[in-house]
Amino acid sequence: MFIILKYIAKLLKALSSEASPNQLAGGFILGMIIGMTPVASIHNLIILMLVIILKVNIGMVILAFLVFSGIAYLADPLFHSFGIWILELERMQSTWTSMYDNELWAITKFYNTVVIGSFVSAVLLCIPMFPLTKIGVIQYRKNIHEKVMKTKFAKALKGTKLYSVYQTVVRVRG
Amino acid sequence: MRIKGIIFLTVITILGFLISWISIDPIIESEIEYQASVANGALVEIEGLDIDLIDLKIRWDKLQVANPENTMTNTFETGEMELDFLFWPTWWERVIIEDIIFKEFKMDTQRETDGYFEIPEEEKNAEPSFVAQLVGDVTSEISRNASMEFTNIKTNINVDSLMAKLDLQAPEKIDSLRNGLRQNYQKWDSTLSNTDINKEIAKVESTIKAIDIKNIKDPKKAIEAIKNVQRLAKQVDSLKTKATNLKKDFQDDFGDSKFSVGRIDNWIKGDFQRAMSMAKLPTIDPGNIAQSLFGENLLADYSGYLEYVAIARKYGSRLVGDDKEKIERYEGKDYNFTDKYDWPKLWIQNIDLSGETKTAIQLAGQVTNISSNQKKTKEPIKFNIGGKDNANRSMTLTGEFNYLGEEPKENVNFTYDGFGLKGSKISPSSLLPYPLKTGTGEVSASVSIVDKRFDSEIGYKAKGIAFDFGENPSKDRIQQLIRDAVSSTDQINVTALVDNLDGPLKVKVRSNIDDLFVNALKSTVSKEVDRARQKIESRVRNEIGDRKEQLLAFKQEKEAEIRKEYEKLESRVNEEIKKVEEKKKELEKKKKELEDSLKDKIKDRIGIDWK
Repeated sequence: MFIILKYIAKLLKALSSEASPNQLAGGFILGMIIGMTPVASIHNLIILMLVIILKVNIGMVILAFLVFSGIAYLADPLFHSFGIWILELERMQSTWTSMYDNELWAITKFYNTVVIGSFVSAVLLCIPMFPLTKIGVIQYRKNIHEKVMKTKFAKALKGTKLYSVYQTVVRVRG
Repeated sequence: MRIKGIIFLTVITILGFLISWISIDPIIESEIEYQASVANGALVEIEGLDIDLIDLKIRWDKLQVANPENTMTNTFETGEMELDFLFWPTWWERVIIEDIIFKEFKMDTQRETDGYFEIPEEEKNAEPSFVAQLVGDVTSEISRNASMEFTNIKTNINVDSLMAKLDLQAPEKIDSLRNGLRQNYQKWDSTLSNTDINKEIAKVESTIKAIDIKNIKDPKKAIEAIKNVQRLAKQVDSLKTKATNLKKDFQDDFGDSKFSVGRIDNWIKGDFQRAMSMAKLPTIDPGNIAQSLFGENLLADYSGYLEYVAIARKYGSRLVGDDKEKIERYEGKDYNFTDKYDWPKLWIQNIDLSGETKTAIQLAGQVTNISSNQKKTKEPIKFNIGGKDNANRSMTLTGEFNYLGEEPKENVNFTYDGFGLKGSKISPSSLLPYPLKTGTGEVSASVSIVDKRFDSEIGYKAKGIAFDFGENPSKDRIQQLIRDAVSSTDQINVTALVDNLDGPLKVKVRSNIDDLFVNALKSTVSKEVDRARQKIESRVRNEIGDRKEQLLAFKQEKEAEIRKEYEKLESRVNEEIKKVEEKKKELEKKKKELEDSLKDKIKDRIGIDWK
């Protein structure tokens, strides 16, 4: 709970002015990929490592992960159908077969309809989502941030004991 | 780039390796011990299990497999063992072991602690497998053999005491049959005397008598009378059918299907056989001799071998069903572009084994392709283990457990040759109580099971033998006979054939000394056995007495009475039919006469000839 609150607070702070829109958009698309695809996959381990190594906003990763996990839950049958279409593409058969025969590729479970369907969908979605998120962040800072900070949720968040503990920790750590 | 993030990842990775390295061994050790103990039915213990994830090796210091029949001993134990497993299959939750080396393999060793293992309820309730049932059948065959003793033959059988214990069943059954027949005859007596056929015949009789042909003067009246007689004919026909049905019912009630002399004979035979089995009189033929002498030992060994086959089939067939593909909704579907990852859950490709038996035979051999699903490995389990010792004793065990086809097939061959027989007794039977002065032995067994059909042969050879009969001749007459018979031979070959190829379990035990025994026994014991048999048979027949003859006479007499009654009834019906027919003919004649006379009158009056 403390960690989630910490990252929500960080996210609100980052959205206001601290982080660059690229960091926020990067975090958003990485969280989106993790959320849309089955969590226990090798590619998500790699994305998680990227999240830790790259300077993307972790609060945004969590937010995108939570939002897109819910969407993916409903969209799994569509991913399955899309995955069947991809895996049955005639011209891709030799590629799939040679990838399947290579253990390093095979452990990604790309041969599963939901894994490949959701992953390709997520990657394709990254193309519009990255610039759109950036625009969104800029617009948020310009028009919405002030209003959000005045909302009951933001006030309540600021008023919680956990938030004050968090602020103290931040101050002490500098 | 976050430097802190890179450090965090590095630390996490190192910690992960350390934790798994430290904690994985005891978890896997206890799981393997549990599963193996369930399979074995007694404790299986591994000491010093070490799993090396970097070199992909597993090793242990000691493995003990307790004997379920005697939990203070081990069926076998091994010393140090090392195996290599493949890395990639572990990603698909599969364990593929290329090579295992078992050193210091020892059989029948003593345990320091009790190897008892409480088998879980679900395992206990499992239905006995076919091979387990077969083990049961063979075991009961062993006990049957053990109870057959030629030395129990008594020259003076106390028939009175035997008959008192026997409780003959045939007399009671014959009496009860007689009562049943009596009741049935009474029923038929009453049926025949109260039947309405008699009353109806009387009615028909009086109607026929009432038709006075002489007084019929008009053709119309004649036609009316003919119609009346035709109705009577129908009535009599129906009476005939009734009588025929009665006859049929009677025949059904007392025909051969419900009563046959054979049944009484079977009851008497049953009593006689029970008396014979209580008297324990043996049938002297070569099969019984060998079975009595060697059956118990050979079949006990045989059922021991079968228990291993039962375990192999039980776990072989259970694991086959484990690899079923499971597709949950929205978990997607896996496309298998090649069969590269179509591995079974467990596949031990090769086991190299070395060690020694309890009798110090140095064993070495291979077991190949133990797998949880042979259809995936396309290889059956094969084993070939053997060895020799300095005294030239040798042992080989070869076989194949093949579950590739529709029907499971097991094939096991075992030989143990060159073991010394000096001082040992060749048979547990009291017919051959003499130890051997010299000799070597050879045991061989081959078992072939295809689904529920099995065919097997166990051979036992005692070579270069000489019996130690002691100083004095035996006081027991039969033992002395056998002693005389076997003293001339220096080799005994015994073969037990157990199969169910023609249906039920068949056990045949034959040996080269069967004829020697039979000849020795037949000349004397056979006569005594025959005398005893005759005594019992005549006593059984006396007890039953002339019940059978009385019953047959009673049956014949009553049936003759009923048949007579019926025949009387039948003849009355036939007589009535005859009378009706005659009356009809007479009426038709009268009618014709009347018609002719009428036509003559018309011709006389108007000159037209109607004829």
